[in-house]
Amino acid sequence: MIKSAFESMMFVWGEPLDVKTAADVLDISKEEAMECFLELKEEYEQESRGIVVRQINKSFQFSTKAENAEYVERLCTPVKVRRLSQSALEVLAIVAYRQPVTKGEIDAIRGIKCDRVIEGLLRKNLVCEKGRSEAVGRPILYGTTDDFLKNFGFTSLKDLPEITDIESVINAEDAEEEPYESDARQITMEEVGYGETEDTVSELRD
Amino acid sequence: MSYKVTLRDFEGPFDLLVYLIENAQMSIYDIRISEITSQYLAYIRTMKALDFNVTSDFMVLAATLIDIKSRMILPRNNAAGEMIFEEDPRSELVERLLEYKKFRACADMLRDREEKMSYVFEKPQEDISEYLEQPDIYLSLDIDEFAKAFDLFLLKKKRVEEVSRHYTRIEREKASVESRMRYISNTFIKAYGRGVRRISFRELVPNAADRYDVVVSFVAVLQMMRDRYLDAEQNSLYGEITVLAGKRKMKEKPESEQQENDQIGI
Repeated sequence: MIKSAFESMMFVWGEPLDVKTAADVLDISKEEAMECFLELKEEYEQESRGIVVRQINKSFQFSTKAENAEYVERLCTPVKVRRLSQSALEVLAIVAYRQPVTKGEIDAIRGIKCDRVIEGLLRKNLVCEKGRSEAVGRPILYGTTDDFLKNFGFTSLKDLPEITDIESVINAEDAEEEPYESDARQITMEEVGYGETEDTVSELRD
Repeated sequence: MSYKVTLRDFEGPFDLLVYLIENAQMSIYDIRISEITSQYLAYIRTMKALDFNVTSDFMVLAATLIDIKSRMILPRNNAAGEMIFEEDPRSELVERLLEYKKFRACADMLRDREEKMSYVFEKPQEDISEYLEQPDIYLSLDIDEFAKAFDLFLLKKKRVEEVSRHYTRIEREKASVESRMRYISNTFIKAYGRGVRRISFRELVPNAADRYDVVVSFVAVLQMMRDRYLDAEQNSLYGEITVLAGKRKMKEKPESEQQENDQIGI
């Protein structure tokens, strides 16, 4: 049975298993393999198993159910991936929604150079080069990778929420929150240990 | 008048500008340019004074703000002295800020997703090369030896079963280490009489089927080895243990004495 074979293969493979690779092993068509994977995914969902079949573009992978994280963590300490910085997330958001996009276009939106951030994202394999633009200097175009989809839990780029949906949520939140108090990133200068802060500022005011 | 400044690690000039606008509770569509420009410049000066790295990106936006401010202060008149109604000089900036805020919202969304996905675990790829190439030899044991050991095990089991079928087991008083030590020393003394100095550990266990009994003998032997009455040899791992007399002489004692805590005057 094909589904059963795919199940075993996914278990051993660990990482997302490409539909084409799996189809080649069983010598069936990609379409047939895709159908089987989707059925398998559906079955796991319906039986509400602790293992989830997740889809990343045209590959499938076993992962744990998020609801069980507490128990898994009580059992052992799984390796945690370090979270991305604010600037990395901003650049990644622009690449995700505007791809293929050049560094220049990203810089224009954020008002700051993004070379180093892009470098970091390339190293983490969250973005990749997607050819070159026809514009002057033929700058490199960037797009997101399958790892990006996987790490952020998207099935495909079509799965990205509409920007307008996000905006309405954010605006609603903004109305309630006091930006001054709630911003955790705020550092008062006294805390950092700059004693001359008050003087400097009053000088500026004069 | 107290004047307190808080500094964040701004991700760029727009981040700073949006913060200033929100902090002043201004509408992004109606920015009080002159107020914001002076605040923005004050911030940059403060950052420079504190040796923060103020990149040229911050200066570019500063120039843009000053440009907008000047265009708003000076109404353009044409040759006839009529005012020219041109587009709000702020509109381009507002558009860019909105665009920036939009992607900042996207970044927040991504952060939430990232957080949620941190509760999902996946497994690394299995290394199956071990099974594909050379299988490791885990047990270097001759098949005959292995079969013999297993036969012996079966035989023992069968005997025990036979016995327990015919007899009811009655637990006798458990032997103490002290009484076992006496038993062992007496066994050795008797063996001396026959000229035997080496005794298999097995022979020092009166009831080999009882694990407790084996353990008691083992502990007794260990204790007597510590006291240098006995010595032991074992030639291979899990092999036969041979017990031999140690440097100190053992003295006979009546075995029937079953007092707890009695000092063993061997």
